[in-house]
Amino acid sequence: MKKIFSIFCLTLLFLGCEDVVDIDTPVTPPRLFIDALLRLDINETTTTIRVEAGTTSSFFDAVNPAELTNISLLNVDYEPSSALDQNFVVFSEVSPGVYEGSKSTNFFTSGELQLFIEHEGQRYLARTEYVPGSPISSLEQGDDTLFSGNETEVEISFEDNGERDDFYLLDLDFGDYLVTEDEFYNGQTFNFSYFYDEEVEAGTEINISILGVDEQFYNYMNQITVQAEGDQGPFQTPSATVRGNIINITNIDNINSFDNVEDSNNFALGYFAVCQTFSDSIIIE
Amino acid sequence: MNQRTRVLLFFLLNFFIFGFSQQKFTLSGTITEASSNETLIGVTIAVPSLRTGVTTNEYGFYSLTLPEGEYQIQVSYLGFQDIIQTVSLTENKKINLQLVEKAEQLEEVVVTEDVEKMDIRTPQMSVNTLSVETIKKIPVILGEADVIKSILLLPGVTNAGEGASGFNVRGGAVDQNLILLDEAIIFNSSHLFGFFSVFNPDAIKDIKLYKGGIPARYGGRVSSVLDIFQKEGNSKEIKVNGGIGAVASRLLVEGPIVKDKAAFLVAGRGSYAHLFLPLFDQDNTAYFYDLNTKLSYNINDKNSIYLSGYFGRDVFGINDSFVNTYGNSVGNFRWNHLFSDKLFSNLSVIYSDYYYGLKLDFVGFDWNSGIQNFNVKYDLKHYINDKLQVNYGVNNIYYSFNPGKIEPSNAESGIIEDQLTKKFANEFAAYVDVEHDITDNLSLGYGLRFSNFIRLGQDALNVYQNDNPVIFDPFLLVYQEAEPIETVDTRGGGNLATFNNFEPRASLSYTINDNSSVKASYTRLAQYLHLLSNTSSPTPLDVWTPSGPFTKPQLLDQYALGFFKNIKEGDYSIETEVFYKDIQNRIDYIDGANLIANDAIETVILNGEARAYGLEFLLRKNTGKFQGWLAYTLSKSEQRTPERVSSVDNGRSNLETGINFGEWYNTPYDKTHDISLFASYDLNEKWSFNTNFVYQTGQPTNYPVGQFEFQGLAVPYYGLRNTERLPDYHRIDVSATLTPRKNKGRNFKGEWVFSVYNLYSRRNAASINFRRNVDTGVNEAVRTSIFGIVPAVTYNFKF
Repeated sequence: MKKIFSIFCLTLLFLGCEDVVDIDTPVTPPRLFIDALLRLDINETTTTIRVEAGTTSSFFDAVNPAELTNISLLNVDYEPSSALDQNFVVFSEVSPGVYEGSKSTNFFTSGELQLFIEHEGQRYLARTEYVPGSPISSLEQGDDTLFSGNETEVEISFEDNGERDDFYLLDLDFGDYLVTEDEFYNGQTFNFSYFYDEEVEAGTEINISILGVDEQFYNYMNQITVQAEGDQGPFQTPSATVRGNIINITNIDNINSFDNVEDSNNFALGYFAVCQTFSDSIIIE
Repeated sequence: MNQRTRVLLFFLLNFFIFGFSQQKFTLSGTITEASSNETLIGVTIAVPSLRTGVTTNEYGFYSLTLPEGEYQIQVSYLGFQDIIQTVSLTENKKINLQLVEKAEQLEEVVVTEDVEKMDIRTPQMSVNTLSVETIKKIPVILGEADVIKSILLLPGVTNAGEGASGFNVRGGAVDQNLILLDEAIIFNSSHLFGFFSVFNPDAIKDIKLYKGGIPARYGGRVSSVLDIFQKEGNSKEIKVNGGIGAVASRLLVEGPIVKDKAAFLVAGRGSYAHLFLPLFDQDNTAYFYDLNTKLSYNINDKNSIYLSGYFGRDVFGINDSFVNTYGNSVGNFRWNHLFSDKLFSNLSVIYSDYYYGLKLDFVGFDWNSGIQNFNVKYDLKHYINDKLQVNYGVNNIYYSFNPGKIEPSNAESGIIEDQLTKKFANEFAAYVDVEHDITDNLSLGYGLRFSNFIRLGQDALNVYQNDNPVIFDPFLLVYQEAEPIETVDTRGGGNLATFNNFEPRASLSYTINDNSSVKASYTRLAQYLHLLSNTSSPTPLDVWTPSGPFTKPQLLDQYALGFFKNIKEGDYSIETEVFYKDIQNRIDYIDGANLIANDAIETVILNGEARAYGLEFLLRKNTGKFQGWLAYTLSKSEQRTPERVSSVDNGRSNLETGINFGEWYNTPYDKTHDISLFASYDLNEKWSFNTNFVYQTGQPTNYPVGQFEFQGLAVPYYGLRNTERLPDYHRIDVSATLTPRKNKGRNFKGEWVFSVYNLYSRRNAASINFRRNVDTGVNEAVRTSIFGIVPAVTYNFKF
């Protein structure tokens, strides 16, 4: 529903006009961010998880890779299959700020996963669990347009699982993301049209993925996609820090109560999530 | 007997003491306009020898009780010829008077005076009146005279800029304004997302905006009352007037059904379909229309009845895949009855409804939502003597809220039909309001309103662990929606919540001399309905929700102090006021709250508080060829939602951060400086010129404090809420009215209005968004501005 709302904004933008202006944005000290979204294809036997670490920059500068002094991923509920198997993933740095580690796929699909990170003397922890998704039933190109008359329409349909309350993240390529929940189509085949802003050239292959996400990550992506697209228009909601699940645990004394309120401004940005992902592609005619 | 009952008793005792102490007679009647029999509101009936007087009420009625004797009375209303008449008061007398417009009688240069003369004596403060003549003079976008846009030029009133609906009074939110059209509550005052207001100026007689010192007869909204009166219709002769504008045209027909007794008025207004045609392709439509109707029947000296109706719709469509319709409908029956020449009563029975519908075919659904309310009011005005007037009454409103019903819009749609839980509530109020002249210098207004709000049972009520629908995750440091532990059906089974509030009101006026006075007021108000909106300006999609088990009523305390001065016999006036207000239980939204189609809204809101304070200054020139005003407001408006103190867990209390770390932050409508200038100049019979200038401190917003990358997205990240501001807002509008000379001496009168909005084409930012340019990959700040310079021509006519 959130997306529908932005249609109003779009509409208003047509009435108004846009131009690029110089704005001095506030400068704050760099902050660690972590991109640890694992798009899991459960048909593969082994899976490589890739974690990208960086430090924030002011809005108009480039972000910098971050060198982690430690990174490990633990599955507290995992029972090793052999003496050689372990309940954690070993990472190696493949390029500055990019860390990868491999493990059998079933390591990721059950149990609580804990990602530990150390950076500049600060320790961080993120916890998550695997979230199942739903396969794409079909992708078809449509010929409708929406506002400007030269959008490209792709009709997407997928089968929702009626047994669960599902939340989805759709990766529509070109950096377009969409979140949706099944409140109004639980257990149905849900089809809808997505309009790419500009005419997509014939022959272009568009890759579309559906990721199963939990409610918390759904809320997270909902907020950051809105903030990243910057198309909120006059009806914008107050922009606030979007906190992910990478928590600073340096000062936490009690492992049973991860209570971080006293040091609430000390945190890293980004998210750690493990999502079942179904992908398909369509070639635009 | 508690304190409050004692206060009430004191009021009642007062009636009797003043009511029966002397041998007196009553002079009463109705004041109307000679040419149309339209009743006049706020006409002064003065008795100079006694230094006393009264003004006519909303229905043109006055009553004045004086000792036996012979008096000269002076009836005056700016813009009209005074009537001076000698009355020998040896018995109760009824005198109905008709006033003649000055301009019509004197065939010379048209010098209409403003009717908005300030009354320095009445304890009522913080009120601004605008006549429809003034509203029509104010240059506006595309030449459409506009009630809401006009009041934005008054001190203490702002809005979020072009294309933003509603208005903010003294740092209050848009949903805190009680908007009454012939006593009916209007929930959405805007057409086309705020470009125009829903009130057709042709059908309006008078508007009054209370920003503070709100009398006890009003309640239900904490910031202001905008009281709009529609014309009754001309009961002398058929009159037609209308206008053809760049965006919309309007036509009004009024006339007698039974001469001097019964009249009708029908006014319609419509914008041209395909209004924004050049901007879209041809399948698209965007238009609005509204219809005002009124029947009035003056049965006899003691009884009058009025039937009025309003119907307005906005339709906005793109192909067939996106159609959006919304609007208000109001039906209203009123009966004025005079029990005696001292006791005026009005019964109103009002039905009003706000509808919002959306069809989104490309997602496959239809959406319908709305509010209906049924309102019965009974108000009495008791003119006990020339020093004392007592108003009292009761009011009951039943509300039914439909937050939304979703249905599949086509056969292939995967959408399942779903009705979000309807909500029901009842609001009852009773009030006593006294206007009391203590001495020649001191006048008091005091009153008490008792309000009772009952949230009635509903189909599905969520029940949460520890009654807590919003949980705080102390690890992630975010507020999250709680899952209900069960859902109960409470329809027909008891009330969900009951609130009672006593709302005292008090005001005082002390006249220093004939031309200056000091006034002070205190107001407490309760508001039981909340507009769910976390955007900088409300959208038609926003839904209202009643107070209930999880949402407490907003409670306001406002204090105001003012100095008022008339200069040169009222040619100029100065009004200065300071105010402080404090609102408890202002709802705030957790970060990332989704309000749209959310059936468990309690899971994303927390109760916070708000406060605002400021200084207002208004200098007006009320007479002459050159008229206008200068308004300046210096103010601050903030809100905060501190951490809740909740249960103890693991031997340590559950700490929370609150919203925005519990810090005060600027509301989106905090405008430090607000300057408005309006000037009109009548050059000659043919030409008159009007201009206004507006300057406002930029609206609070956020600029990113940094950026990070996630899955290929460049994500700006933000710090605390509303710490930055958009660039300052300012613009000048001008208009010129041409009244051709040939109008003189004929029935058909036409005039041309040429207007230019935003004369120097300032690109005022409606928003500044931060994003990565898709083509260049470079981050940029993008300003969105709605209107540059907009010239327009309107032709108005009447016959």
